[in-house]
Amino acid sequence: MSDLTTDAPHVSQSPWGQAWRRFRGNYAALLGLIVLTIIIFAAIFGPAIYGIDPYEMLWAPFSPPGVDGFWLGTDYLGRDLMAQIIAGARVSIIIGLSAAFMSVVIGVSVGALAGFYRGWVEEVLMRITEFFQVLPTLLFAMVIVALFGASLPMITVAIGVVSWTAVARITRSEFLRIRELEFFMASRSSGTRPLKIMFSVILPNALPPIIVQSALMVGSAILFEAGLSFLGLTDPNVVSWGQIIGSNRQYILDAGYTVTIPGVAIFITVLCISLVGDGLNDALNPKLKDR
Amino acid sequence: MRHIFKGLMTATALASMVATSAHADEPKKGGTLVTVLGSNVRNLNSAVQSGIVTGFPGAQLFASPLRYDENWEPQPYLAETWETSEDGLTVTLNLVKNAKFHDGTPLTSADVAFSVEVIKANHPFKSMFAPVDSVETPDAHTAVLKLSKPHPALMLAMSGQLMSIIPKHIYGDGEITDVKAHPRNNENVVGSGPFKLVEFKNGEHVILERFDDFFIDGRPYLDKIVMRIITDPAARAIAYENGELHMGAFESLPRIINRLKDVDSLTVTADGYGAIGPLDWLAMNTTKGPLADVRVRKAIAYAVDKNFIHKALMQGTASDSTTGIHPDSPFYAAQDGYDLDLEKSAALLDEAGFPVKDGSRMSLTIDFGWPGVKPQVEYVKAALKKVDIDVEVVSSADFPTWAKKMGTGDFDMSWDTVFNWGDPVIGVHRTYDSSNIQKGVWSNTQGYSNARVDELMAMAAVETDDAKRKALYAEFQAIIADEVPVYHTNTLPYHTVYNTDKVGNPPIGIWGTSTPIDMTYLK
Amino acid sequence: MIFLQTLLVRSVYAAILLLAVLVLNFSMMHLAPGDVADTIAQANGGADAEVLAAIRAEYGLDQPFLVQLGRYIGNVLQGNLGYSFYYREPVTELIMQRIPATLLLVFSAQILALLIGVFLGVVSAQNPNGMTSHFVTFIALFGYSAPVFWTGILLLIGFSLQFQWFPVAGMRDVTIEGGFFVKTWDVIVHLILPMITLASVFLALYSRLTRATMLEQLRTDYVRTAYAKGVPHRKVVYQHALKNALSPVITLAGLQFSAVISGAVLVEAVFSWPGLGTLAFTSILARDTPTILGILFFSALVVIVGNLLTDLAQKLVDPRIGGKG
Repeated sequence: MSDLTTDAPHVSQSPWGQAWRRFRGNYAALLGLIVLTIIIFAAIFGPAIYGIDPYEMLWAPFSPPGVDGFWLGTDYLGRDLMAQIIAGARVSIIIGLSAAFMSVVIGVSVGALAGFYRGWVEEVLMRITEFFQVLPTLLFAMVIVALFGASLPMITVAIGVVSWTAVARITRSEFLRIRELEFFMASRSSGTRPLKIMFSVILPNALPPIIVQSALMVGSAILFEAGLSFLGLTDPNVVSWGQIIGSNRQYILDAGYTVTIPGVAIFITVLCISLVGDGLNDALNPKLKDR
Repeated sequence: MRHIFKGLMTATALASMVATSAHADEPKKGGTLVTVLGSNVRNLNSAVQSGIVTGFPGAQLFASPLRYDENWEPQPYLAETWETSEDGLTVTLNLVKNAKFHDGTPLTSADVAFSVEVIKANHPFKSMFAPVDSVETPDAHTAVLKLSKPHPALMLAMSGQLMSIIPKHIYGDGEITDVKAHPRNNENVVGSGPFKLVEFKNGEHVILERFDDFFIDGRPYLDKIVMRIITDPAARAIAYENGELHMGAFESLPRIINRLKDVDSLTVTADGYGAIGPLDWLAMNTTKGPLADVRVRKAIAYAVDKNFIHKALMQGTASDSTTGIHPDSPFYAAQDGYDLDLEKSAALLDEAGFPVKDGSRMSLTIDFGWPGVKPQVEYVKAALKKVDIDVEVVSSADFPTWAKKMGTGDFDMSWDTVFNWGDPVIGVHRTYDSSNIQKGVWSNTQGYSNARVDELMAMAAVETDDAKRKALYAEFQAIIADEVPVYHTNTLPYHTVYNTDKVGNPPIGIWGTSTPIDMTYLK
Repeated sequence: MIFLQTLLVRSVYAAILLLAVLVLNFSMMHLAPGDVADTIAQANGGADAEVLAAIRAEYGLDQPFLVQLGRYIGNVLQGNLGYSFYYREPVTELIMQRIPATLLLVFSAQILALLIGVFLGVVSAQNPNGMTSHFVTFIALFGYSAPVFWTGILLLIGFSLQFQWFPVAGMRDVTIEGGFFVKTWDVIVHLILPMITLASVFLALYSRLTRATMLEQLRTDYVRTAYAKGVPHRKVVYQHALKNALSPVITLAGLQFSAVISGAVLVEAVFSWPGLGTLAFTSILARDTPTILGILFFSALVVIVGNLLTDLAQKLVDPRIGGKG
C-alpha cells in the first residue's frame, strides 16, 4: 500500500506544518485528539483532583451510577467506580504506551536492519518476524505472564514481545522503498556511516507510516492488557480497566454497569487513538487520502 | 447478627420441609434431567479423585456401602446391615445380594476389599481409612474391616463420594497405585450405581443413563441425566432462568443466589451441604514474623469486620462460622466471635510491640486460594489499613505455584475455602494437627501447634460415644477460636437451585450432589 | 505443477517454523520457576525430596536440558505430544477433542468477516460520502476499538438474557434428539453469537481495507476505460475492480490468523465454547506443561495452515501472483 507514496520529499517548506494543517481539517481526528488529551490529563491529574481513594470501601456495594453522589456507582466492595476508572486510566495508558514503545523499538530495529542490509540479514530477520507472526499472541502472552508472574512490567514485556511484527514489516518496506530514492543514493555515495544513514537519513523519511502504526499499537496494547486482565492474569494490587471488567464480570447480570463502564472507557480511548491514527495517516500520506 | 442467620436458617429449613412433604406424592418415572457441573471434570472415578465435580457423576456411577439422610443418620445402601464390635475394632458389612456392575458382573466383598486398597493408595484423604488394617472376605457378601484402633469417622467415610466401590475385574489389571491414571477412569466407566455412563465429552458434558439392573428395585426414577459443563456462573444463572437447566448444585456466588431466589419458577436452598462442610477462612502463618504472636492474630481478627463480610460480600447468603467445624455438623459448638473493635485491635498490636512508625505497624502479604475469594482478600487489605497494617495481595497464576507456597509455609495470610468432608477426622484435623505441619496444601499450613489440641483430636478420633466425642470437639473448638491460627468468618454459601415445577425430591441430604440421586424425579 | 511445487516448498518451510516454535516454547517452560515434578507433587498434596526425585526420574527431568528437548522433539515428530498429568490423557487426544470447536469458530468468523467486510467495503466505496460509507466507518471503528470479550458480554446480556433468542453457553444442546440436520442446526444456533463477536473485530479491518483499495481501483485508468467503453457499472465494480481489490484483503486476512485465535481464546471464555482456548486456560491454571506446549504447537499449526489456505485463495482470485506469496 505504502508503495504509492513515493514523493513525500517533494512537498515544499515544512512538511510537518502542512501535515498539521491537514490534520486540523479532519474533525473526527481533531475530536479524537481532544478527548484523548482529556483522558491523559485525567490519568495524570485526575486522582489528585478527584481525591477519592479507589481502593477504599466507602459505601454499600453495587450502588448504581448517579445514586448517593457516586457518579458511576460503586463496585462489589463498595468502592467508587469513578475513582477506579480514573486510577485505571493511568495503568491502562501506561501499559499501552510502554508496551507499544517496546514493540516499536523492537519492530523498528528489526525492520530497519532488514531493509537496510538486505541479503542474509534480511532473510534471517524476516524469518524471525514470520516466526513471531505464527505464534498465537494471546496464548503466548498468557503463558509468559502465568509462568513468570503477573507484575505490570512482565505484562508489558509479554505484550511487547508478541506484537512488534507489524511495525517490523512496515519499517522494512519503507526502508526498501527509500533505498531506491535519489537522496538516499546521494548520501550513500558521499560515504556517510551506515548507522548514520539508517537513523538520520532513512528513518525520518520512513517515519509517517511508522508513526501511524505506533499510534494504533497503543490502542491494541490497551486492548491486549484488557484481555489478559479479563482472564485474571493481572497484578491484583493495581487497578486497570481490564481488571475492573474481569473482577466484576461475575456480577454482569445485576450490576452490568460495573462491566459496561470500564468497557466504555477502553472503547472511547481506543476509538480516539484510532481516530487520531486515521487523521495522522491522512495528514502524513495525503496521496492515500480516500476522499 | 448471629440471630438473624439462625432465624434465616430455620426459615429455609421449614420451607424445605414443607416442600419435601408436598413432593412426597407419587414420584414419576422417566425423563431426562438436565443439570450442570460448574467446573471441568477430568476424572469420573471418585475412588481415586476427590472434589465435588467428580463427586456428582462419581456417586451416580459408583455405589458406596452407606448413604446418609438429612438428619445425619446412616442408611443402608450397598450394605444391607452393618455392625461395629464392642471394642470398635471390627466393622462388618453385609452386602446386598443382587448388586451388579454395569457390565453385568455381580458385586462381591472382593470388590469392597479391592476398593479400600485402591482408595488407601490413591485418594488424598489418607485419614479416612488409615486405621483399616485389612478387609476380610469370609463370603461373597460379607466384608469385615479390621481396624487398628476405634474409628468412628469410618461411618461417614463409607458414604457419599468417599467410598466408591469399583470393580476389581476392571481396575485390578495393574498396580494398585496405577488406578489413578487408569484409562477407564473417564471412558467406559463401570460401577454399580443407579446410572451408567453414556458419554463423557471433556469440557462439554457427561451423559448418564438409567441402569436397569440397579440393586434397588424400581430405582432410579430418571431415565437419563445430562450434566452440562458451564464454568461461567452468569451463564449458569441465565440457563436456570430460561429453563435450560432443571437443577444445579454448589452455586456459591451471593449475587447470583439472591438473583435466582427472586425467580418464581426456581427454588434455591442452602440445605444439604453439612457433610461437604465448606468454610471460608483467613489462615495466618503462625511460624514466622508478627503473626507468630497470638495477640497480632487476635488484633487482625478484631479489625476484620465479619458483619461487613456477611452483609456486603456474602449478601446475607452465608451462615456464620466461628470454629473449624461447619455449623451444620452435629459436632459444631459455636464460639464467641471477634466483633469489630479497632481500638482493641490497636491496643493488642501496641502490646505485642508493633507501634505505628511512619504510618505503618508492619507489612504483610495475603494470598488467595481461588478467584471467588478475591473480594475478601481486597477487603482484608482495606480493613487492616485502618489499624495501620500494610497488606500486599499476592496472586499466583496457577494452582501448583500457590499450593507450593502454602505447603511450604511461604506466606503470611491466605484466604481460602476448605471442606470438612463429613467427619472432623477427615477434613478438620488436618488443619490443626501438629504432626501435619506444612505437608502440602490444605494441611496444617499455618504451622499451628498446641499439645492440648493434638491430644483432644487424638481422643476424639477413637471415641465411640457420641456425647463424649462432642464434648471433646467442643473444647477443641474453644481453643482454636481463642488462638486463631485461622480466623473463621463464614460458610461458603453453597446452594442448590432447581425448577420447582419440574424437579421432585432434589438431593438435599448432607452430601450435596455427591450422593446418588436415584430418588430424584421429574414431575 | 507449479502449484504442487509451491505447496512443497511452503510445507518444508512450515515444518522448520514449527520446529522453532517447539524449541522456543520448550525452553520457555524450562526457564520458568518450578518444574513438572513440583507441579505433579503439589497437585497430589505435596511431596518430600525423595518422592520429587522419583517423579523427576520417571519423567526424565533429571536429564540435561538438551536431552529433554531432543526427546520431546523426537516424540512430537512421532505425533506424540506427551501425557497430560492433569487430565491423565494423552495431549494429542485432548487437543483432538477440542480442536474442531476452535476451528469451527475461527474459520466461520473469518469467512463471515470477509464476506460482510468486503461487501460493506465495496458498497461504501461506490459512494464515499454517503450514509453507507459513514456507517461502514462507524462499524469499523467500533469493531476495532471495543474489547472483544466486552462485545461478547454485551451480546450475551442482550440476546441470550433479555431476548432469549440464543443459548447462553456451549456448542450444542445434548438433550436435542434428531437427525443430522437438527443437530447441525443446533450447533449453528450456538455458534451465531460467538461467531458474530469474533467476526466484529476483523470485519472492521476488512471493510476498511476493501473500501480503500476499491477507491484506488475505481480511479485507475483501466476502470475508466471500461466505463468509457460502456461496460455496465455493476460489471465494472464486481468483475474488474473487486477482483484486483481482493488480493490485499486476503493477504491481510492471512496475517490475522494469529490474532483471530487470540480473539477466539477470549470469546471461548465468554461463551463457554469448548475449544482450545478454554482448554488452554484450565491448563495454564493447573500448569499442565505438556498440554500447554501442545496447545501452543497446535495453534501455531493452525496459523500456518491458515496462511497456506490464504495463499491458495489468493491464487484462485489472482493467478498472476507469484510462487512465493
